[in-house]
Amino acid sequence: MKAQMRKGVLELCILSIISEGEAYPSDIIQKLKEQELIVVEGTMYPLLTRLKNAGLLGYNWQESTSGPPRKYYHLTEEGTSFLKDLLATWNKLVNVVNQSTKNLVGNE
Amino acid sequence: MNKTNNVNIGGFPFTIDDDAYAHLQKYLDKIENHFRHSEGYEEIIDDIENRMAELLNERIRNKRIVSLEDVEHAIGILGTTADFGADDFSEGRSALDSSYKTGKKLFRDPDDKIIGGVCSGLAAYFGIQDPIWVRIGFAILALGAGIGIPLYLLMWALVPEALTPKDFLSMRGEPINVNNIAKIVEDQVENISDQLSELGNDWKSKRRKKKSGKKKSWKDRH
Repeated sequence: MKAQMRKGVLELCILSIISEGEAYPSDIIQKLKEQELIVVEGTMYPLLTRLKNAGLLGYNWQESTSGPPRKYYHLTEEGTSFLKDLLATWNKLVNVVNQSTKNLVGNE
Repeated sequence: MNKTNNVNIGGFPFTIDDDAYAHLQKYLDKIENHFRHSEGYEEIIDDIENRMAELLNERIRNKRIVSLEDVEHAIGILGTTADFGADDFSEGRSALDSSYKTGKKLFRDPDDKIIGGVCSGLAAYFGIQDPIWVRIGFAILALGAGIGIPLYLLMWALVPEALTPKDFLSMRGEPINVNNIAKIVEDQVENISDQLSELGNDWKSKRRKKKSGKKKSWKDRH
């Protein structure tokens, strides 16, 4: 997938995962890895930081038994409505792409 | 026997083999270099360092010393800068950028042009199916009020030609809605007024030169 597209999709997935409840980056990564969307954890941190700086995410520190305190991310109010918009756009996009590619060979 | 170092990673003390230490140091340096120009650079580095501490801690558990394998294991999970390159999201636009959301920009369409692609670009911009209507509009303006031709030439000069696929996408953009129109009008007006004032300055300075040139020749002649 082209980097640009993946980045958008990834942001959508990250926001969706976090919308299900407070999440620790490595849990998010685990889910994304299952879907082969992300390869290594390192790519995740810049994205989270950016989403946080954009006011879409907030985080709480939580003590951890296995090392330094962990950042648990949650959606802000703004993040929730942004996710809603993004999902609507995504669904529209999927529809359009399906419509335009339905006659292509190999896309049953 | 191996020399060890005491280090502080993410606020946690570790005893680490010398070779493992060198490896880790190199890795973290590379990471720092990679993200140096990213937004929130310090926070990203802190996050990665904290995660590194956690991974090492989980790994060594009842051992006392971090070995080279432990460091490599952690790096395998976090990824090297080469892996970041493979899914490089640090550059370019994201869904957060407003230009991605609204998308539309005025371009000239080189694929469907009669003169300069201004009309087809405008048609794409306003979501008009067939550029013929825009062309007819310009023709009427040219014949009627006479502003069609200078307007066309002005737009030909000011509106960039769509060159890259991205240009073409944003030329067509999304169907227009109130938000888009507001944003586009704002952007374009700003853009065009900038370019106009530039043109104006150019023209003024040219005219000044011309004037002084004329004076000279007039003096020379007399």
